[in-house]
Amino acid sequence: MTARFELIVSVIALALLACAPALSPLVHLDISIVSEVLVTALAVMSVNLLLGYTGLPAFGNAAYFGLGAYGAALSVKYFNVDFFGAVLIGVVAALAGGLILGPFLLRRRGIYFGLLSIAFGQVFYFVAYRYTDVTGGEDGMNFPRPPIGLVHAALNEASFYYLVLVMFALSLLAFRTVVRSPFGRTLIAIRQNETRVRYLGLNTDRFIFVALLISATMAGLGGALFGLLINFAYPLELDWHQSGYFVLMMILGGAGTVWGSLVGAIIYVIGKDILSTVIQSQWQILLGALFVACVLGFPRGIVGTVQALRRGRGGGQQFTDDDVNAAFDPAAPVEVGRGR
Amino acid sequence: MFHDLAPQLFNGLVLGAFYAIVAVGLSLIMNLTGTINMAHGSFMTLAGYLAYSMVLRGTSFWFALIAAPLIVVIVGVVIERTLVRPLYKREPFYSLLMTFGLSLMAEEIYRLIWGSAGVPFSPPPALSGAANLGFMSFPTFRIFIAVVLIVAILALAFFLTRTRFGLRLRAAVQDTEMIAALGTNTQLLYAVNFGLGIFLAGIAGVLAGGMLGLSPTSGNALLMPAFVTVIIGGMGSLFGSIVGGLLIGMVISLTTLFIPAASEVSMYILMAVVLLVRPRGLFGEEGIFG
Repeated sequence: MTARFELIVSVIALALLACAPALSPLVHLDISIVSEVLVTALAVMSVNLLLGYTGLPAFGNAAYFGLGAYGAALSVKYFNVDFFGAVLIGVVAALAGGLILGPFLLRRRGIYFGLLSIAFGQVFYFVAYRYTDVTGGEDGMNFPRPPIGLVHAALNEASFYYLVLVMFALSLLAFRTVVRSPFGRTLIAIRQNETRVRYLGLNTDRFIFVALLISATMAGLGGALFGLLINFAYPLELDWHQSGYFVLMMILGGAGTVWGSLVGAIIYVIGKDILSTVIQSQWQILLGALFVACVLGFPRGIVGTVQALRRGRGGGQQFTDDDVNAAFDPAAPVEVGRGR
Repeated sequence: MFHDLAPQLFNGLVLGAFYAIVAVGLSLIMNLTGTINMAHGSFMTLAGYLAYSMVLRGTSFWFALIAAPLIVVIVGVVIERTLVRPLYKREPFYSLLMTFGLSLMAEEIYRLIWGSAGVPFSPPPALSGAANLGFMSFPTFRIFIAVVLIVAILALAFFLTRTRFGLRLRAAVQDTEMIAALGTNTQLLYAVNFGLGIFLAGIAGVLAGGMLGLSPTSGNALLMPAFVTVIIGGMGSLFGSIVGGLLIGMVISLTTLFIPAASEVSMYILMAVVLLVRPRGLFGEEGIFG
């Protein structure tokens, strides 16, 4: 993606998102759905950093997402904190989860990592499910949306949306900065060939641990905002199914791309909102079919495909900053094809 | 409480045998092709429902116990040939995601066919009731389950160590390219291996339907313990899966007896402890799966 093209796309996307409260009624979309898109995109970005960029099958990120949601919920319910306090506690809870699980996870790679992520992530699900006295168990827990402390301003849906939008935009910028920094480049190198990175004298475990913590923080932020959005926290947020949905959105939008997470979240959340009211229970069959179809026929995702097309037009010569997703090219499963 | 101990331990063993046989099926598929089959639980559920429908239509339980898993094997191999096979060349998480999608579809399809509430699936009269073992009495059906699962495991061990095909299968786990170069049809190996894993899941599914009940999600309830079993036993080791399964079954049934609130979490704690002491699991082999 050339710099100018990316700038144009970013400006258009942000302008559209900024006008969303005015635009969404035109297409009969509740603004809270747009908020849900953004907070979900945060969680998808967290998966993207680990799976899309670093190549680690992060199938447990719903744990951090749920920790964020429960952190926010419990802190509002029992300590009466304000909005930002709730977000902060949610993020810290997710980060703590990452600190605890990290040492277990980062010893393994490939499907072993995936299996460990699923299994350890499930612990939090059972904790939330079992400790009914505190968490409300299977029924989940309600809590009121807290005001912003300093100004004592209650948040309506539109102002909540703008708060989410600001945090999302900052996170996207941070995400882009991270994946294009030397640190992010190292993560991509680990995805392509970890042994070589080690030969260069880099402690890859340390890089992966930091990536894991960034990922947990991001998922936690998404989860905390999600909890505050729906004023509710429930155990299924922590379940491995939820992790699978995040991964699906990442593939759908484009693994290893900056904008792919948002695109995937837009399609999934809005599609689910529309379809689940139209066809109710069969929605899940459609979702499963989407998984199968995406994996078999569309592994690059939307943004990835667009980038591949643009790359093809440019003669396929230049190494662009964003073509990490070349790794997701089904035609080139092993060789990533640098500098062809 | 302590006079409950012996039956509870035996319950744990039967439960553990389920985890073991599901985990062995998962491991078979995982070791050869690197595919984490998230639809494994769905195949179990399918076998259970098929057997239920067969018995409902008047066939004998014994026939259903063999026929239902075989039908599921056919379904499984067709799915492997058409949907999983294209993914072998790609990164393993693709097949994980694909089979996850399959399990979502399957769950809803079962709901449409057999309804979302559980259905009663009881063992035949010959196996109901309880047997007196001298020091305790124990449901006959559970003893039967234990026997069937042990026979299945022994048959599998015989197949893998004493038959030509089984040896090829194990050789392929070590080095697929080499065994292909020596003239073995590896695609056939993949298909048979997948079918074998599904067959074990199918048998477990029918038996679990009789013991734990049958609902659209009942197979998936056994999937997560089976994952933990594979991790505890060590990836790459079938023997480890058996030991791990029995261990988890015992731990779960003991915590259910003494600390009911921790019954679900206990296996994860066990997993964490095992991984701290032995990062590759109890019998995990060095060099397999990073």
